[in-house]
Amino acid sequence: MVLELHVWGPALELPSIDPDCLAALSYIDHTVAREDWTLMPSNDPAISPDNILPALRHNGTWTSGYLNIVSYLTRYTANSIDNDATQSQRADTLAYASYLTSRGAALIAFSLYVSPSAWANLTRPAYSTLLPFPLTWTVPPGLRAAAIAKTEHLGLHQLAADVNPEDGKSDPKTTGPVTSTGFLRLPKRPGVTEIMQPEQVAAIRLQSLADDFFSVLEELRGPKRYFLSNDKPSSLDFLVFGYLKLIQVKTPHPFLSKCMKKSAAGTRLLRFLEIMHEGPIRWQPGKVDTDLPWIAPTPRGLLEITGKFGGGVVESVPGVGEAWKKYWRGAMKGEDGAQDSTQLIYAAGSALIGVAVLGAMVLFRSLPPFGESIHRFDAHKPERAGLHQFGDIGTIFDNLPDDLETPAKPSKRTTL
Amino acid sequence: MSVDSKQSAAAPKATAKASDWFTIPAPLRRLFKHFPLLVYPANELPFRTLPNRELPTLYVFSTDQDALQGLPSFNPSCLKWQTFLKLAGAEFRIIPSTNHASPNGALPFLIRPSSASDADSQTPVPSNKLEKYARGNGSTQVPEVSSLRLEAYQSLLDHRIRNAWLYSLYLNPKDTALLFDLYINPTSSTQVVRNTIWHQLQHAAESEILKSTGAPAVNPPALYKGAEEAFEALATVLGGEAWFFGNLNPGLFDATVFAYTHLVLDEKLSWQDSRLRDALMNYPSLVEHRDRILARYWGLQG
Repeated sequence: MVLELHVWGPALELPSIDPDCLAALSYIDHTVAREDWTLMPSNDPAISPDNILPALRHNGTWTSGYLNIVSYLTRYTANSIDNDATQSQRADTLAYASYLTSRGAALIAFSLYVSPSAWANLTRPAYSTLLPFPLTWTVPPGLRAAAIAKTEHLGLHQLAADVNPEDGKSDPKTTGPVTSTGFLRLPKRPGVTEIMQPEQVAAIRLQSLADDFFSVLEELRGPKRYFLSNDKPSSLDFLVFGYLKLIQVKTPHPFLSKCMKKSAAGTRLLRFLEIMHEGPIRWQPGKVDTDLPWIAPTPRGLLEITGKFGGGVVESVPGVGEAWKKYWRGAMKGEDGAQDSTQLIYAAGSALIGVAVLGAMVLFRSLPPFGESIHRFDAHKPERAGLHQFGDIGTIFDNLPDDLETPAKPSKRTTL
Repeated sequence: MSVDSKQSAAAPKATAKASDWFTIPAPLRRLFKHFPLLVYPANELPFRTLPNRELPTLYVFSTDQDALQGLPSFNPSCLKWQTFLKLAGAEFRIIPSTNHASPNGALPFLIRPSSASDADSQTPVPSNKLEKYARGNGSTQVPEVSSLRLEAYQSLLDHRIRNAWLYSLYLNPKDTALLFDLYINPTSSTQVVRNTIWHQLQHAAESEILKSTGAPAVNPPALYKGAEEAFEALATVLGGEAWFFGNLNPGLFDATVFAYTHLVLDEKLSWQDSRLRDALMNYPSLVEHRDRILARYWGLQG
């Protein structure tokens, strides 16, 4: 028996960049002996049929998603850590798991993906180390777009505008030396809202969201050592651990970890993380590379990478991308797949139209501008009597402006 | 007689004097005297306009007949607020509407009877302010749940159950007819327009589901399974109590649960795919909870 867990790879000094993957690997690490499972940083959701990481492969069966993996392992191993959970504890686990994957994921999405400085300095470089070369151009922007969509209902997504850190320094508003009338322009004094980073603007709203989040979690834990019981951790504890660890990540503007330290519920949750590290979590924070049963994933072939890259490029073409995604990833599946044929027709149709438009544009560009080939009509210099007839020197004098000759003419007139 | 003849003699004179260009020739005038041939009785006011204009109006997705009787709306978020206003004991009437009518692009919203003295009455109340409105204007005190666990359970409704609902109504090919009846046919009678709206609705529902699940594709069996697990958790937390979280009276959370359970169980909606309904029927306490609200606030039998 070898369990094979596929996850997003290590980054940000954690074994995985994704909270669910982090929870899943910590859970398996806690419940299964090291020699019985392997960890693969495959970094590609398409590896599992459901297109979700973490994914567990066991005897050819794929299970993806944290809760599904936990329930699969519960069925598979007789003594699971959730076995003696009461009905109401199970209900709480489900409700809190749902809360974490919605609200918790939105908070992480904001702090690591939506926030421009964290994305540029931290998250995108992290993905660049995880992914093979050309995919670094197509995969991370897709992940970021998904993260922005997640934060939409919290009203934070409008802060996602691409802010280039270098652009900020040479702000044209502050350096306009001269006005159009030539007066020296005084440098504009930036207002409070202008000098604030987008993260700081959002901080006020985020503060309350984060406080709510920590309080809701702490409400369930109460004075207990773990979330559901006093003596041993449950699957919910590992999920909370995964999310809180990523909330704790030091970003350029670490507002979430600051919120956590400031609020009362947050400090108690920090204590919970310490408790988790003391016992249930078996990997050491500093020794992530050696502590876990890592196995290098089979390197992807050049063909596969090129194919994926091509797919990513097509997906980002406006208009065609949506239909392509639907067709390629099979938007409808299972027994309800009645719409597949129409989806295919739409995808093929849009792709055809896209190609036709592109072809037409290329053709149009290559055509000469309407009608015959170009003729140039240059003014013909009239053959005229002048000094140029007298060799090189004559040519020089011939080019002299006519005005120089005029003094001679009036003399003639005066004679009249 | 002589008077008559005098007058008749004088009349042509007078007309001749005034005539010039503007008088209508006698034969035409006689003809026009016959009009109008028939005066119809005045039309009745449209079905929708109710006499009691001084009541606040909640704009929801509904049909004309249902709205007249104040029956539950067929849209979960409209029904949630319709129920909550009833729980709070606020007086209101409902009017069928569409998203296009709403100031913030989504139903429901509430318009208070306008009075010139109160500036607030001129602005519509969007759904995110309805809770405050209901608490301020209702006759009964709706219990506020102090437990923060409610938020966690709320996310079950907002994600798992909502996803399954969106799939069942908008994407499930078996229930396309129901979707057309509820949302598409009332908007237009042109087939092209209907199909366009249908595709727009499907696309919107699909992207909502994908955003929530984080998967690149819709997986119907997983959605139904997720909803069933959520129903189980809700039934567990309800336990043997009448209302959620041990309250003596139903609150906002009860209204939210009712908004889904009622629509899943409603006989008036002809569901062809019974998977969601079957999943819910496994938890009799939730069915009873729905029947209780329906009987208490609408006087209807489930």
